[in-house]
Amino acid sequence: MGGLRDYTIRRILISIPTLFGISILTFTIIHLAPGGPLRFSLALRGNIPVEYLLEIEHRLGLDKPIWMQYLIWLKNILTGNLGTSFIKEVPVIDLVSLYTWNTIKLMLTAQILSLIMAIPLGIISAVKQDSIVDNVSRFVSLFGVSLPTFWTGLMLIFIVAVKLDLLPVFGAHTIGAVYSSPIEAFLDQLSHMILPVVVLAFSSAALITRLVRSSMLEVLRQDYIVTARAKGLKENIVIFKHALRNALLPVITVVGMSVGFLLAGATVTETVFAWPGLGRFVVMSTFNRDYPAIMAITMIVALMVVLSNLITDLVYGFLDPRIRYE
Amino acid sequence: MTELREVNLQRGTSYMTKAWRRFRRNPTVIFGMIIVLVICITAALASIFSPYNPKEMHYGEVYAPPSSKYRLGTDELGRDILSRIIYGARASLLVGLVAVSILTGIGVVVGSISGYAGGWLDNILMRITDMVMTIPSLFLLIVMVSIFRVRGLHIIMITIGLISWPQMARVVRSEFLSIKERSYIEAAKSIGSSSLSIIFKEILPNAIAPITVMATLRLANAIILEASLSFLGLGDPTAITWGSMLSRGHLVLRRAWWVATFPGIAIFFATLGFNLLGDGLRDALDVRM
Repeated sequence: MGGLRDYTIRRILISIPTLFGISILTFTIIHLAPGGPLRFSLALRGNIPVEYLLEIEHRLGLDKPIWMQYLIWLKNILTGNLGTSFIKEVPVIDLVSLYTWNTIKLMLTAQILSLIMAIPLGIISAVKQDSIVDNVSRFVSLFGVSLPTFWTGLMLIFIVAVKLDLLPVFGAHTIGAVYSSPIEAFLDQLSHMILPVVVLAFSSAALITRLVRSSMLEVLRQDYIVTARAKGLKENIVIFKHALRNALLPVITVVGMSVGFLLAGATVTETVFAWPGLGRFVVMSTFNRDYPAIMAITMIVALMVVLSNLITDLVYGFLDPRIRYE
Repeated sequence: MTELREVNLQRGTSYMTKAWRRFRRNPTVIFGMIIVLVICITAALASIFSPYNPKEMHYGEVYAPPSSKYRLGTDELGRDILSRIIYGARASLLVGLVAVSILTGIGVVVGSISGYAGGWLDNILMRITDMVMTIPSLFLLIVMVSIFRVRGLHIIMITIGLISWPQMARVVRSEFLSIKERSYIEAAKSIGSSSLSIIFKEILPNAIAPITVMATLRLANAIILEASLSFLGLGDPTAITWGSMLSRGHLVLRRAWWVATFPGIAIFFATLGFNLLGDGLRDALDVRM
């Protein structure tokens, strides 16, 4: 097991510089904004006397050299202080934690749903190559990767919510609702989640189905599968025990790496369904030029992606011993 | 050396012939190619195909449903949606082409240096590539566009190119890593060819296939990125783009479903076309990525 432990430590150490790099990159970009972040966002509120501006800049430390500002920001972020939202004037961390949790709920459900759909479909497609099932699933998954998520979302709203009046389409819960029990609140949120989750899951499932299929096809051509068949093993055993285990390795990578893809999909999906998540929050913060918020969201997103890549690599290293010893 | 070149050349011809044969036999690729051709022709001859001026407003006929007069209906200013979709093809294609040229340029340079030089340079370049790849491109695009207060279509397409090169760099790098071990590179080195000449004359021509496939797939991605940005209301307000049409239609879905539906179909077909073409090229050129 020593190999695995060393590998884990090495892998964690590699992701730290990446996060640092991203924070420096984002910090620089934000401070490159004409007039600096503060003047830029205050410009939206009409004329403000210069003396007053200078005073606020001094109070917020914006008159210090940029590297010092970065170090101060870094010190704050390491102690859990993400700054105060320029617009809402509350600690960014309060906003971000709520929105992050909402986004995670949406993404996790969508990812699980997409795996439930994609893995069996991909397997059937590969095992019964060029059959009707294969052709239909290839066609549908190609549709899925090409359909823009915001458009699928709109069409679903139009058909399911407007025409059939089956499900709610906006927000995370019914506005002004009073719940008699936690179960009722949960069911209300669940009904709000269905449409955005379906949209996200569909596009992600399309991607994963294509991957499972091609990965499975490649494994089925390997010598050890031929051997397994030649020694008279049952087809089910060959497929599930010999082929699937190996075919799922690249799938794990893609599922882990697709967190970024899902987050980007969530940005538009959340806007379409007015879901109070990170994606919608970044769009709102962008409109309001709320820099502490934008900086915080970027770091949270980067952290989520880096963490999921890390977990993916660790799972991979655990499943495939060859990786650890490289 | 001449002998080697000749062998290379011969192998090259038969490889291309085989590829073309595989390409032709695949019906989905042909379908993809037809879509891409239709979009290109539509964009080039937009003024001939569109029944109305895309900016002309018909105040008496705001939100007119699809009819024989306005095939796909009109929007909130009474502008003909069909004409706007036809002109929108120009914007989408332009965004795709400019963004892909930029990302291919950066990706090829970074990937070549990284793959050829190896060592610490490779390490640094790949860490930067990882960093840019870590933040989802739509996120990065939103942040960049908002900070630099840019709304012009030309700036947006350049920005898309500037942030979506990492995948290309990775593909080029892995090609370089495998090609530089081959014997004809060894041969070129032994007769004293310079690094630049090896990169440009020996390695890059042999990496064209994966670069082409990646470029085609990235083109579809660039079109979706611009459409998403416009949909979020951060696109170029003056340009006629499918994303911004959809964004406006989004709010009036109940009243006028056609405003959002048709631009969405256009985005879908454009993406599908380039995806099919990219997939087909990958199979025909036998590229693994």
